[in-house]
Amino acid sequence: MQTARLAFRNLSRQKRRSFLLGGAIAFGVMIVTLIDGFAGAFVDNVSENFSNLLAGHVFVEGVEKSPKGRDLDIIRDDAALREAAEAAGIEAKYVSRRSALQGSLKFAGRTASLAVQGVDFAAESFLAERLALASGSLDNLPRDGIVIPEPIADKLGVETGDRLLVTTRTYSGQQNVGEFAVAAVIKDPGILGSISAYATRDYVNELLDLAPDEYQALSFYLPSLSGMDEAGDRLHAEVSSRLQTFEREAPGAEGENPILAMMRGEDEETWTGVKYRVTTLNDALAQVQQIVDVLETASLVILLVLFLIIMVGITNTFRIIMYERIREIGTMRAVGMQRGQVRGLFLWEALFLALGGAVAGLAAASLVMLGVGLIDFGLDSPLFIILKNGHMSFRLDWASVALKVAIVAFLTLAAAFLPARSAAKLDPAVALRTAV
Amino acid sequence: MSIIELAEVRKTYPLGKTEVQAVKGVSFRIERGDFISIAGPSGSGKTTILNMIGLVDRPSGGEVLIEGKPTSKLADRELTTLRHETLGFIFQSFNLIPVLNVRENVEFPLLLGAKRQPRKEAAEWVDFLIEEVGLSDWKGHRSNELSGGQRQRVAIARALVTKPKIVLADEPTANLDSATGEQIIELMKKINRDLETTFIFSTHDAKIVDIADHVVRLRDGLVTENFRRERAGAEA
Repeated sequence: MQTARLAFRNLSRQKRRSFLLGGAIAFGVMIVTLIDGFAGAFVDNVSENFSNLLAGHVFVEGVEKSPKGRDLDIIRDDAALREAAEAAGIEAKYVSRRSALQGSLKFAGRTASLAVQGVDFAAESFLAERLALASGSLDNLPRDGIVIPEPIADKLGVETGDRLLVTTRTYSGQQNVGEFAVAAVIKDPGILGSISAYATRDYVNELLDLAPDEYQALSFYLPSLSGMDEAGDRLHAEVSSRLQTFEREAPGAEGENPILAMMRGEDEETWTGVKYRVTTLNDALAQVQQIVDVLETASLVILLVLFLIIMVGITNTFRIIMYERIREIGTMRAVGMQRGQVRGLFLWEALFLALGGAVAGLAAASLVMLGVGLIDFGLDSPLFIILKNGHMSFRLDWASVALKVAIVAFLTLAAAFLPARSAAKLDPAVALRTAV
Repeated sequence: MSIIELAEVRKTYPLGKTEVQAVKGVSFRIERGDFISIAGPSGSGKTTILNMIGLVDRPSGGEVLIEGKPTSKLADRELTTLRHETLGFIFQSFNLIPVLNVRENVEFPLLLGAKRQPRKEAAEWVDFLIEEVGLSDWKGHRSNELSGGQRQRVAIARALVTKPKIVLADEPTANLDSATGEQIIELMKKINRDLETTFIFSTHDAKIVDIADHVVRLRDGLVTENFRRERAGAEA
């Protein structure tokens, strides 16, 4: 313990040098921690934003083949799906049943293309909480009422109460025309503007030529992100026992987005009636995890590269330290310090430096994360999908942080090992007569 | 049995492609409780002999025996343990550890060995030694806050802390003014009397050589004189 205490005090001898070395270690730790923190929150934020965007975590879509072989999106078996969800024990916070049309809104010679979500506002009460209204109201929405985002309203030059013409296609591809009454305008939702118009499902179904009890997408919004794949598997099993379904995972989907692989399979396949596809948010975000894996690998590579550079500095500095303290080493050896204790003295010093640098690096990273987290990028930021309510957020996995600190400590010890060994091997007589 | 015996000890150093013979076959004995001066001009081999007696350097030939035990074949670990248990060192430049205060410097050797004294006993012994060397009021000070004489007193206390049988002092007064040097030698002499510790010191100061009761004089790596002084009330 005397060796450790002495090593700790030795750090204060050349404060500037210790500060620079510790600072280099701290910088490396800070960079790596920031990358880790960003990667940690990346999945959460993207998942959260996509789940809001897609109104759920577990999805059921129905696909029917047209006489010409085209895939038509339709759900005709709501009762069977309700039964399957109940049997699968899906405990959803919200359930949404939506239809969607892609159309052109026209007003006074101006046109804007966008997707209109057909929503059961009574069932999706949470939607009213999420939409930030600029004008109008969602209460007593008329059957042909539409809620449009501000940029679209500005582009068309419409206000609440104006009536718009809409041209679209039915679910089977026929041209159709209708009219919407602007019931409300919502604040600019940024890059999501083109898919953020809402109307009653009844009227959208009418324009799509769907029956009132039919729709195109069933979504379950679960209480948390965990367990969604298991819920998807259970639901798939229950739906399969009642209706035609696609395989949960498309064959040959390795390395490819599972949903795209599934859809590619559907194009090549033929069937009669409606066939159901059960997917989860994780299927949609499979490639997000790949990005996170890349980020985590990059963080480790950066850690190693930075520390290779820092290690050269540490090795050289400890060599200098050895020569500066050569007579002291000779004295300690003379009064009875064993070689192992001399080596330990240097290694303890390196360990304290590594731990001090790591703690400082973690503190600096925490400050940067806190500072960056306070910046409001806004909901219309191109970074929207990776932000949390418009703010950059970070999440650290403490086991990973502990591992990185252990790697830093190991590399610092490795860098100091050769000078420590040289110091331990010094002949005491030579060390004592060396003039510094 | 002599506490130290040098038998035909030689030491050769490589110097480029040639060799320098620093010690050319030296033999003498040191008895328990001796206060011995190894005297001689610079380059006569004083420090080399002291280093070999202190087991920090190995002879190129011959043998150094400590309490009758040959040391030339001992491994580094055994030599270090023997140094720690049997020998104390006082250096010309004091060689205190700058990040430790007076008390910690004195205590330092106690914390190195495998055998540990009870904490309270060790603390009392350290305090006793600090008091003996007159530095009770300076316990918490670091070496850069002390005068040369005070530093050498710390070094003396450090040399004695492990209760060694032999203390080696390499020109202990060389970096001190003459008055302080005399005080240091007097202190060493007092400890030599009180604790019966054998003191071996090198010097080229004739006044200090006069205080020694056994003198080994060297020139060019050879012993030119080896004698004991008769002192009033002391046996030769």
